[in-house]
Formats: sequence, structure tokens, C-alpha cells
Amino acid sequence: MEIIIQQLLNAAQLGAVYSLIALGYTMVYGVLRLINFAHGDIFMVGAFIGFMLATTLNMPLVLMMPLTMLLTALVGVAIERVAYRKLRDAQRVSLVITALGVGIFLENFVRIVVGPQTRQLPAQLPDSVLKFGSGLIITEDKIWIILISLALMIILWLFVQKTLMGTAMRAVADNSEVIPLMGINLNRVIAVTFAIGSALAAAGGVFYGQAYSIDPYMGIDLGWKAFIAAVIGGIGSIEGAVLGSFMLAGVEVFTVAYLSSNLKNGIAFGLLILLLLIWPSGIMGKPLLKKV
Amino acid sequence: MKLLEIQQLSVSYGAIKALHGIDLELHQGEIVSLLGANGAGKSTTLRAISRMLPMTSGQILYKGENLAKIQAHNVVSRGIAHVPEGRGIFPSLTVLENLKLATWTVKTKQLAPRFNYVFTLFPRLEERKDQLAGTLSGGEQQMLAVGRAIMTDCELILLDEPSMGLSPRLCKEVFQALQQINKQGKTLLLVEQNANMALKIAHRGYVLENGRIVLTGPANELAHDSRVREAYLGTHKHSLGNS
Ligand SMILES: Nc1ncnc2c1ncn2[C@@H]1O[C@H](COP(=O)(O)OP(=O)(O)OP(=O)(O)O)[C@@H](O)[C@H]1O
Ligand SMILES: [Mg+2]
Repeated sequence: MEIIIQQLLNAAQLGAVYSLIALGYTMVYGVLRLINFAHGDIFMVGAFIGFMLATTLNMPLVLMMPLTMLLTALVGVAIERVAYRKLRDAQRVSLVITALGVGIFLENFVRIVVGPQTRQLPAQLPDSVLKFGSGLIITEDKIWIILISLALMIILWLFVQKTLMGTAMRAVADNSEVIPLMGINLNRVIAVTFAIGSALAAAGGVFYGQAYSIDPYMGIDLGWKAFIAAVIGGIGSIEGAVLGSFMLAGVEVFTVAYLSSNLKNGIAFGLLILLLLIWPSGIMGKPLLKKV
Repeated sequence: MKLLEIQQLSVSYGAIKALHGIDLELHQGEIVSLLGANGAGKSTTLRAISRMLPMTSGQILYKGENLAKIQAHNVVSRGIAHVPEGRGIFPSLTVLENLKLATWTVKTKQLAPRFNYVFTLFPRLEERKDQLAGTLSGGEQQMLAVGRAIMTDCELILLDEPSMGLSPRLCKEVFQALQQINKQGKTLLLVEQNANMALKIAHRGYVLENGRIVLTGPANELAHDSRVREAYLGTHKHSLGNS
């Protein structure tokens, strides 16, 4: 029983990190119909920005985290502005290839600047060990990672549902051609979407670096996983991205715990195929609405 | 006062020239109808005004300001709202959210009077305000599209075939609302294929054919013009340009 609770917490922690990345995939897809394949690397850049701020500037987490999110948001906005905007009306293939190129650029840039080694973010979250009754042991940082991630997701949800900018983001997903007729600058909505998606990925990067370790290629594997999670949940759907992330993390953690770590990816990808056979647009995804 | 003045406007889609130097003007408080068959260039004219399309030559003056340099999203704050062909509502947003989004450029925080105004014009929208816009009937969507235009601070509303796909009864409802909006001071440029309906509420009209204005005049004269009757109100299609 204790072991199951511990595994559930591990799954929740991993699911939280996946969610923070998957949200960026799903939001950018919503406004641009683009799978931003550089997004996993934006997550990696976020982790390294956090690492630099925490090590070279000795910044405490309460400062480091928001600043990392802000700086990574700027990176995301710059990528959209420089690499994607001009191609927005080009074939989707060109945009996807560009995104892959941007990702490779980011990996190599970070590798050259900080080196290829694996590193660990300094442990900055409270990490006392909590013991419960019959042998349940929980490290406190896990709880913090899960709680802060959930808080970020709730803030995002409120933003998207309740604010005018959030409404505009949903409207762009519906029908971007009409957006200027509402007096809305489409470029601004898209920039805000990249900023938010990148900031969330950065938070995921910082947490991942606290819980595990970071290297310039971490974004590839994690990016794919989060992308799969977003697709399982229904790409374009915020709730779906979170649901898919926790499901995928659960499957992975329990496969490793009870079957074998070799099976982890096989089962994760198998699950993707199986679920998409049942829900071709993802669990929470809508089939593409025909424009009226 | 001249609100809108279009001079020698030409617009092309690549090699295809859709408008060949048209002149058109609107005075404050008017309803002007722009008539023409499929492919005449009506929607193109409206899209050029709201800067959705670049113009090849000519100019568009709104209150004396040349719109050529203005980006599409800044046209609304100048006072021009565009109800596009096919309505262009946001299907996965609620009716209320659709209307709210149209207040993007509105400075005042006092939105209640605007909502009330839209809801008195179209009580059906109030009944369905929390419904997703995509689940509205075609007529209700058209009302929403017009309602959205009213939510902005516009003085001029460009309407692209608001009668399209509506039953005669709903059509009448929408046109009555348009007339009322006009009485409250808004100027309307009404694109229609339904010349009968349009000329009933319009003050003046233009007839567009193959990207050229071929006829213009007061609405009642156009309605009785034998050429318009034959081409748009009668039974057989017949080109004005050749008559
Ligand atoms: N995106 C486009 N690309 C190329 N040609 C276009 C495009 N849109 C319109 N056209 C052409 O421009 C001409 C005018 O089109 P427009 O849509 O303005 O006509 P319309 O008068 O609004 O017709 P309808 O009553 O069918 O809506 C047509 O010949 C049309 O084929
Ligand atoms: Mg048209």
C-alpha cells in the first residue's frame, strides 16, 4: 500500500512536468495548427536558464523561478518572431521542418555554451523527509513540485477561460481570419501564446532539474513524451494535455515499478496507438470543426 | 458629410483582377446597397475597405484619412466594423464571449448598455447567451455577427450578404434590425444579392458587374430601373454592361 502511494506520487510528479510541457504543444497547436517541435528544447533551455541563475547568481527559487519563466518566454517569443512568422502562410511542412531546425539549433547552442555534461539544479525546494504511520516516506520537494505545477495549471485555465486575451486565444483556434475584424492584432495573440507556453515549459524544466538531472539533449525525450501526452489528451485541448500527461506518467511509472524499465517506452507508445484507435482526435479533442 | 470615399480602387488576386477602378461614396447616416451577381467583386470591395486585402491602386478615405497604410486590426478602432461573408462567428465560444471579444478596442468599461442594446435588437441572442455559437441556427449566427459589429465603437458597418441562407421571416427580422441600427446613427454598406430586400431599406445603391460599377442611384430608382429589374429582380439574368 505504501509503495503504491509512493509510486502514485512519483507518477504525479512526472505527470506535472509532462503537463507543463504538453500545455505549450497544445496551446501553440491551437493558434497556429503547428506542432512546435522545438518546444522540447525550449523546456531544456528553461532548465539551463534556471541552472545558470541558481548557480552563478545564487538566486533563491522564489526569484529564480519567475525570472527563468520570463526569460524563457522571451526565447519562445523570439523564436516565433524570427523563425515562424514569415512561414505562417506557407505549407505546414516548411514550418514543421523549421521547428525541427530550431530545436537542433537550441541543443547545439546550449551544448557549446555550457558543455554537454549532465548536471543537477541545486536542491532549492524544502526537502525534508516526511514519515507517515506504517512506513510511508515522502520527500517534501515532490509535494511542492506537484502543488506549484497544479497552481500554474489552474492559473492558466482561469486565464484562458476568463480573460479577454484568453478568449482571443480560443477564438484564434476557431477562426483566425476573423480575428483582425474584431480589432485584435493576431500577432500579439500568437506571441502571448508562445510566451505562456514557453514559461510553463521553463517551470517544468526547473522542476525536472530539481527532481532528476539536466543535459542539452533532455528536451528530445521529454518533448516527445509531452507531445504524445498532448495528442492522447486531444491536441488543442488544455484539459486534455493535463489528462494525457498524468495518464502517460502513470503508465510509465507503474511499468517501471512492476514490469520492467525496458518496457517503459514500448508501453507508452503502444498506449498512444491504442488510445488513438479508440479516440482518433484524442480523449478530449474535438474532431476538427467544419467552418460554418 | 462624406464618411467613406473610394476612388479608382483596383484589387487583384495574383494575376486575376477583381476590381477595376471603382468609385463609391457613403454619407453619414446612409444605408447604401452594393448589388451584383456572384463573383462581381462585392466581397472584395468590403475586404479592401477593412484592409483584409491589399489594394493595387486607388485610395480609400475614411473621414478623410487614407486607409492604405493602416493594418487590418486597426481599422476597427477607426470606426469600421465588418460582418464578413459566412458570418465568421467563433463556434466554440459562447454567444456572450463572441460579443465580448468584439469590445477589444472599446475604451469604456461600461459594457452593460451595449449588451442591452444588442439583446433588445435580438432577444434570441439573450436567451442563448451561454450557448456555444456553433450550435446556433444560421439566422441566429447572423444576428450574432451583426451584434458583434454593434459591440465595437463603429460608425460604419460593412455587411456581406446578411440575408444569405435565412428564411424569409428571419431575413425580415435581420433587415428590420439593420434599419433600426441605422436610425440610431450607424451608416451601413450593405452587400446583397437579394436586391429586392436590400433596395427596400437602402437610400442609395450601386450595381457592380465584373469588378466595375455599372449603375448607381437612389434606391427607389434602382428598384424601378428596368435593367436592374431584369438582371437582379426578374427571372432571366442579363448583363447590365451590354445593355
Ligand atoms: N482568394 C481569391 N483568390 C483568387 N480569386 C479570388 C479570391 N477571392 C475572390 N476571387 C475572385 O475575385 C472575383 C470577385 O470575388 P468576390 O468574392 O468579391 O465576389 P462577390 O461579388 O462577393 O461574389 P458572391 O456573391 O459569390 O459572394 C471573383 O471572380 C472571384 O473568383
Ligand atoms: Mg461575396
